[in-house]
Amino acid sequence: MELADRAVGFLLSLISVSIFTYYSFWVIILPFVNSDHFIHKYFLPQEYAILIPVFAGVTLLCFLSVFIGLVILKSKKKKA
Amino acid sequence: MKHIVKIMTLLVAISAFWMSLLQTSLIPRSYTWLLPLYFIVSLGCYGLLMVGVGLMQFPTCPQEAVLLQQDIKEAKVFLEQKGIDVSSD
Repeated sequence: MELADRAVGFLLSLISVSIFTYYSFWVIILPFVNSDHFIHKYFLPQEYAILIPVFAGVTLLCFLSVFIGLVILKSKKKKA
Repeated sequence: MKHIVKIMTLLVAISAFWMSLLQTSLIPRSYTWLLPLYFIVSLGCYGLLMVGVGLMQFPTCPQEAVLLQQDIKEAKVFLEQKGIDVSSD
């Protein structure tokens, strides 16, 4: 049991560290590198560095509001 | 009431710092525009990291689990003697 917990925890921390390093590289270091360096192949164009977090944030907000709306509707239906 | 005042002052201080960074061009302009977004993403990453680390270090108590199972059995026997139905279906 605790091995599964440990594995999930390790996976979560690994994902978060990798996302953090990838994003830091993308935003901070990449503008300073020459345009014809090979490393640019591994990173998407710079506009996506803004679009993807904003899109994820908007999706999260939509999901939360839909969930809250559904819960409110269900509780109203049960009372009436 | 006091907690929200603290959070509001923190937000106002951070936005004032960011706007002062915009005015005096210590850092190149494109970086200053991206700075709040970068902080939000890194805050999310930090939260995820704390959850993962906490999961990894969660202490399980095997002896307490065995003792708890014994307690449950005793309680079941006692309640069945008294006539209460505690079977789980």
